[in-house]
Amino acid sequence: MKQIIHITIALIITCVAAAAVMGLAFTVTDKAKKQNEHKNVQNAMLGLLGYTKANPAPSDLTFHSVYRYVIEDGEAIYLGYMVPVQKGAEEGYELVVINLEGKFVEKLEVSITPEAAIEELERETALHAVLKPPKKFTYADATIIAKLGDKRLAYLLPGEFPGFKTFISVMLALDPNFGVLGLEIMEHEEDPGLGAEIEQQYFKHQYKGKSFKKVKGLKVVKEPLPDEYKRYLETKKWKEGMFSEEEIESIRSKYQDKDIYAITGATISSKAVTDGIRNITKKFAYRVEILDRVVAGQAVPVTF
Amino acid sequence: MKNFTRHHILMGAFLIVALFLAGCAPEHRFVKKVGFKDTDKIVITFAGPVDETWAKDVANYSVYEKPDPDIRLKIIDVALSPDKTTATLTFEDPLNTNQAHILTMTEILSDGRSQGTAVLTVKKLYFGYLFSILIGAMIINNFVFTKYLGLCVFFGCSQKRSTAVGMGITFTLVITFAAMMAWFLYQFALKPLRLDYMQIVVFIGLVSLSVQGVDTILRKVNPALFKAFGVYLVLVIANCIAIAVPLILADNEYNAWESLMLAFGAGLGFLIALFLMACVREKLDLANVPPTFKGMPIAFVMAGLFALAFLGFSGMSIY
Amino acid sequence: MAVTKKTNTQLFVDGILTENPIFRLALSMCPAVGISTTVMNGILLGIAVLFVQVFSSCTISLIKDHIHPRIRIPTYTLTIAMWVTVIDLVLAAYMPVAYKAMGIFVKLIVAFAIITMRLEMFASKNNLGPSFWDGIGMGLGFMFAMMTLGFVRELLGMGTLLGYDILGFKPLLYFVLPCAGFILVGLMMGMFNWIEVVYNRRKRVKEL
Repeated sequence: MKQIIHITIALIITCVAAAAVMGLAFTVTDKAKKQNEHKNVQNAMLGLLGYTKANPAPSDLTFHSVYRYVIEDGEAIYLGYMVPVQKGAEEGYELVVINLEGKFVEKLEVSITPEAAIEELERETALHAVLKPPKKFTYADATIIAKLGDKRLAYLLPGEFPGFKTFISVMLALDPNFGVLGLEIMEHEEDPGLGAEIEQQYFKHQYKGKSFKKVKGLKVVKEPLPDEYKRYLETKKWKEGMFSEEEIESIRSKYQDKDIYAITGATISSKAVTDGIRNITKKFAYRVEILDRVVAGQAVPVTF
Repeated sequence: MKNFTRHHILMGAFLIVALFLAGCAPEHRFVKKVGFKDTDKIVITFAGPVDETWAKDVANYSVYEKPDPDIRLKIIDVALSPDKTTATLTFEDPLNTNQAHILTMTEILSDGRSQGTAVLTVKKLYFGYLFSILIGAMIINNFVFTKYLGLCVFFGCSQKRSTAVGMGITFTLVITFAAMMAWFLYQFALKPLRLDYMQIVVFIGLVSLSVQGVDTILRKVNPALFKAFGVYLVLVIANCIAIAVPLILADNEYNAWESLMLAFGAGLGFLIALFLMACVREKLDLANVPPTFKGMPIAFVMAGLFALAFLGFSGMSIY
Repeated sequence: MAVTKKTNTQLFVDGILTENPIFRLALSMCPAVGISTTVMNGILLGIAVLFVQVFSSCTISLIKDHIHPRIRIPTYTLTIAMWVTVIDLVLAAYMPVAYKAMGIFVKLIVAFAIITMRLEMFASKNNLGPSFWDGIGMGLGFMFAMMTLGFVRELLGMGTLLGYDILGFKPLLYFVLPCAGFILVGLMMGMFNWIEVVYNRRKRVKEL
């Protein structure tokens, strides 16, 4: 009997000690993890807009995040956009509720700061205060609008869609006319050497500069990538004097309206990325027009 | 004993059929069936003939993907069958059949009388999805040959066919048991309390507990079985797959049925891998292998060839 | 194995060469096959395993006199799981890109038989000093094996090393795929076996 007690006590002590160490490690690393994640996303966004360490962003570049939620109230379904608004000298958030036909329903104040709004859990708590049951809401997606001074510079859309293996997570940058400014592959689990080539510049940069009209019907062709196009796309490997200004312009206009050349041995991954980008762009263009119309009609003091 | 087993099999079959039916019965009395066809069509089967004028009017149908209720998909054509009970909607863009779609038909007119408005969910059979997880874990993403887990035990137990089968069956039992407990604990203890980082400790504890549990149960219930398989139980703890399965189902947030399928598939896949390897190794024992390669090295090369063969399954999608 | 009579350096060298966990003891092979696609992956996982091995060995050798024999295995498992969680959290926080490349394998360190066996056979019977050196030897042996595999696979498969383009083209993409991992490990094991045979033969000739 004494043995069993001894054993149990020893086990409990070990468990508690282990849990303490792990808890400590967790609290210390959690904050760093979130910061690093955020920094990673920030760098990706700046990269997409063309700003690097050598070409830093100007001081009047600002980012504004809009979060979209799907709200269910009994049988009715609404879309709720958490938009950043200017409240005097400070920035706050308001929830603009729009019905499925694109008509304004109501607007509610949400008490949350822009810094806290980055965290999903904070947003949930703030929304629970204004959307009381039986209303249920689910997070849909986020859009980040980059402004240079007073004008909209770009829309940055994080998106996720199924790939060849599991999911591919991307950050898409669109200009104010919904043409593609750039694409960044954030996360994927594709095969190295095959599907993972979507991270390479010769694939990613093909989307750059495609107009909205072209993106709406974008397809993948199973043809080999022309050599001159490949050299043009791989900007990291550019050497001094490799391309003259006219050559750059001629290659750019020649391939601007072509479909995407698939990666050898990874047609499905290429198609997945193309379809994903096409869907994201189409849906976003449709929604942002409605949102802009409603916001203007209701004179909501949005910061974008 | 025979009647007992047959009864169990009948119950199991009934359960499966019930699941099947539950997955595909729409919720309107006038609509018998809805489903996807090809990559851009939805087929609706009514309980009786519908009016042609109503059926051909595209404005009576509204289809959207469940997570995007504000984006209506464009229908370019409606085809009606000669007996007027089946309507086929063709869409402008290919449909994402992995996503559930909501179909609304307003005021269905049959023989001039309205049958009411139907709001239905069009999706692939859940049963098919479960089956695809099973086959995925078993063959397409075989844990040994495609995910390279569980190799230590794999090479240790695959010398003879009898050992291989024994290990495989024991492992399947333990992993199914452990995975269900892991799912339960994850959903009801770890997630609500935000103790996600305790996953590793909790899961390995669960695996040890399962091994202990199966050990005790087997000893009492079927001593003969225990004598045959008992020695492999201890090795299960050192098997990477035993920890990988709970980690995967926590990561992907599978529900109970999906977890069961994953665990079952993993176990069966391991059994298949072991059995194949054992068959080959028995032959290898009699072959003329160079002395430096005898034993482990040649077994590894064989496993490499198997992995190459299993690569052929990559990307297969069953359903 | 009772209290060891080897010197610390001997333990260290043993861990890397004669008792190399992957090539000689044939343990913990899952990551050897799966993750050794690039040298960087090999280094990172090697560091993770080194960390877990060293800390676990030290922890167990510090409390070895207080462990009740009936609960040895759960105690070892708990210690290992604890340190694996710590390194997992640290890597996820400070090196997220590298962490993603390794996927599930960092968490799987807890199931490595090598670590448990080393604790059982060595750390539970020896003091802090020898346990520490044994741990380092084993960990480094693992890292060395992973790096060698990664070197061959990355160079022949993708033409790069540590991300730097060396060859400028991809010789044989096959090497990056998992099946090549199996075959390469088999070949390297055979090579180690052969080296041992030759070494023993030479030793015997010298003794004659």
